[in-house]
Amino acid sequence: MTFIIPIGPQHPALEEPAHFRIEVKGEEIVGVDLRLGYNHKGIEQGLSDRSYAHGLYLSARVCGICNSTHSLAFTRAVESVAGIECPDRARYIRVIDAELERIHSHLLWAGVAAHEIGFTTLFMLFWRDRELSLDMRELLFGQRIYASGTYLGGARVDIKEKDIPQLIRTLNKLEKSVKHYIDVCTSDRTIIARCSGVGVLKKKDARELCAVGPTARASGVDFDIRRDDPYAAYGEIPFDVIVEQDGDVFAKVVVRLREILESIDIIRQAIDAMPKGAIRTKFPENVPENEAVGRTEAPRGELMYYVRSNGTNKPERVRIRTPSYANWPSVRPMLVGGTIADIPIVVASIDPCFSCTDRVTIIDTKTGKSRIMTKEELRRLRK
Amino acid sequence: MNANEVAQLIKRYADDVKIVGARQVFAATDKERYIEALTALVDNDLRHLTTITGVDRGDNVDVIYHIHCGESLLNLKLSVPKTSLEIETVTDIFPGATLYERELMEMLGVQVKGHPDPRRLFLPDDWPAGKFPLRKEAKK
Amino acid sequence: MFPGILFAGAVGLLFAGIDRKLTGHMQNRIGPPIWQEFLDVGKLFGKEDITPTAANSFVFNCAPLLCFGAIMAVMLLLPINSSQPVLTSVGDLIVIIYLLNIPAVCMMLAGYASGCPFGTIGSSRYMVQLLGYELAFIIAALAAAAKVGWSLSLSSIVSYQAQNGWMVSQVALIPAAIAILIAAQGKLLRAPFDIPEAESEIVHGSLTEYSGPKLGILRIAYDIELFVVAAVIVVLFFGGPVPHTIYGIYIPGVVGFLIKCLGIVVLSTVIRNIAARLRIDQALKFFWTFPTLLAAISLFLVVVT
Repeated sequence: MTFIIPIGPQHPALEEPAHFRIEVKGEEIVGVDLRLGYNHKGIEQGLSDRSYAHGLYLSARVCGICNSTHSLAFTRAVESVAGIECPDRARYIRVIDAELERIHSHLLWAGVAAHEIGFTTLFMLFWRDRELSLDMRELLFGQRIYASGTYLGGARVDIKEKDIPQLIRTLNKLEKSVKHYIDVCTSDRTIIARCSGVGVLKKKDARELCAVGPTARASGVDFDIRRDDPYAAYGEIPFDVIVEQDGDVFAKVVVRLREILESIDIIRQAIDAMPKGAIRTKFPENVPENEAVGRTEAPRGELMYYVRSNGTNKPERVRIRTPSYANWPSVRPMLVGGTIADIPIVVASIDPCFSCTDRVTIIDTKTGKSRIMTKEELRRLRK
Repeated sequence: MNANEVAQLIKRYADDVKIVGARQVFAATDKERYIEALTALVDNDLRHLTTITGVDRGDNVDVIYHIHCGESLLNLKLSVPKTSLEIETVTDIFPGATLYERELMEMLGVQVKGHPDPRRLFLPDDWPAGKFPLRKEAKK
Repeated sequence: MFPGILFAGAVGLLFAGIDRKLTGHMQNRIGPPIWQEFLDVGKLFGKEDITPTAANSFVFNCAPLLCFGAIMAVMLLLPINSSQPVLTSVGDLIVIIYLLNIPAVCMMLAGYASGCPFGTIGSSRYMVQLLGYELAFIIAALAAAAKVGWSLSLSSIVSYQAQNGWMVSQVALIPAAIAILIAAQGKLLRAPFDIPEAESEIVHGSLTEYSGPKLGILRIAYDIELFVVAAVIVVLFFGGPVPHTIYGIYIPGVVGFLIKCLGIVVLSTVIRNIAARLRIDQALKFFWTFPTLLAAISLFLVVVT
């Protein structure tokens, strides 16, 4: 007899609301159903109501942790549509911005994952080091979380010479910490027991279900937009794409921690290679009719913006496909056959960002109604 | 596959093939040929469907399939008139298309025939049927 | 009232507070003050008492009280100040082991009676875990008892240790000491064995639906259990209450006893902070191999020599 466990919309394992209906027999999971839409904000519609400059800020608010990448992808698409190229120094600043964000996102994720397997000490230690990455963002871009350093036609702020020694010192400190964490995670018995062989996503499933980012790379799918479709200054900075073959949660942990080390390396190279010069060019107010796609490698995977312009200062249509959205179908093969105890860590292993997933349209104030719907849904489930 | 190779591959199934920039290919196809086009891509081991975009163009709805092709991106456009707004599902070719087609159905009202799970994705259950938020008529 | 509710309550809550402070420092943060547990429990008693409609209210309401009662009974059976506990009977050890299981059984019933799926899963995990740690615990305790000629009276165990030194100083009993410490970690539902209450998986397991004064009683019962289990281990293996005279000042046995109990609690806290939570099947496998084997080795050695 199967038994249904509701995970969410309110649950300690989830940072944002979603609803999983998990069918279980004893501790084993036999079926998964996912409901999204609790964080529906109406951003795609909102972007076509606002000018491009205003839209830049709105696109950054799709997600709290990937804000730099969102505004960068939007900028990439809009600059393609308008036929504008930003100056060289700005391209390097964008790289530094994006990689700092990747470091922050992966450290945050690592802490959350440690919490999901009940290892609160490691959670606290990861987040202590996350403060270092936030300090760097504040130093360079003036803000800890919403630091997006991109602007249409260039970068928002310039990186000052006097800040660079402090940046390098912090990067070195962070690199030592992360190397220590990699040692801890690969040798601690309880972590290996909880993560190894759990939530396996086979390479065939990852490719068919179009998984992206570290989720796909941990299953042996060699896919990274920074290398395949280079943007900003990535074409000029050599780096390694980290790929693991096992596809389990442990592989995903290793991929993300090693990517932090790669990011630190990329930032160092970018600082050395950064040319002097202007950081912005003029961006026209009205953009001629055209369409283009801008893609970036967000911390969670491939992020795509499609922009269609119509000659005015507002876009005709903006379509956002976030990496978390693409990774949801992969959750089902990862969960089925596992146990309840594995649900939090498996769901966390794709690094879900519901904020990113639910950003499609609701026009009027029906958002209030959707909250009431949630309670009804729960009441229906209880019976 | 780089942009030139993709353009060569898709020429048989689409018109108006343009290479934009270094790595993007835009092409327009029609209802008769799009399934063959997508199947040809999968046969060449191009399995990553980035997403499906729907754009309301007034009389038509443009359904754009964005497929990642290794070193380039293919944007395959399918123009569907609003008078007969239905297409076949591509989930048998790209299993990862399931969520994107659900979103297409609820936001733009495109009927996707044969979809294995045509429930609403983001809109609440009590949203009135027949109201499609991303249609032009739906704007204030 | 000594060693009654006030003493047990105060010591238990204080130990829990020290545990939280120490955890904070191990996690590179400051942690709450050591009297935080008193404040938290006090706050709980000031809240509204709610019973969910889907719950079986008789069982739901009785479970916390039974828990508390059982733990207090164990307090009275332990020798705290001298080798004589407040109450004695024949077969003390068996009674204590039995009474220590009542809180676990109460929690399971409460979980089932809560009417919520998290409670059910928490309870079923608790049952499986009980099968794991209890065996190791009992065998280790019997090893200590066997050393004293199979006497099940705690006072005789304490007297034996007063004459011959701590049980743990005898090589044959070291495996049993290790085994009972591990089993205690499982009994107290602390990492890596806090599976039945796994917060990130099943909210709070059996305790999910509890709030207000009932949760307060359960909290106090849990904290006193922390003290009591440490006390049982100290009595069995680490000498129990022994009065000392240092520089001519008479220090009653209870002081040394409390210090030893605190030592066990600190050890448990350290283990709690350096391990992730195991899955229930992994925990069961672990319990039935490592600690049970150790305890059995001790028992064998004691019986044979």
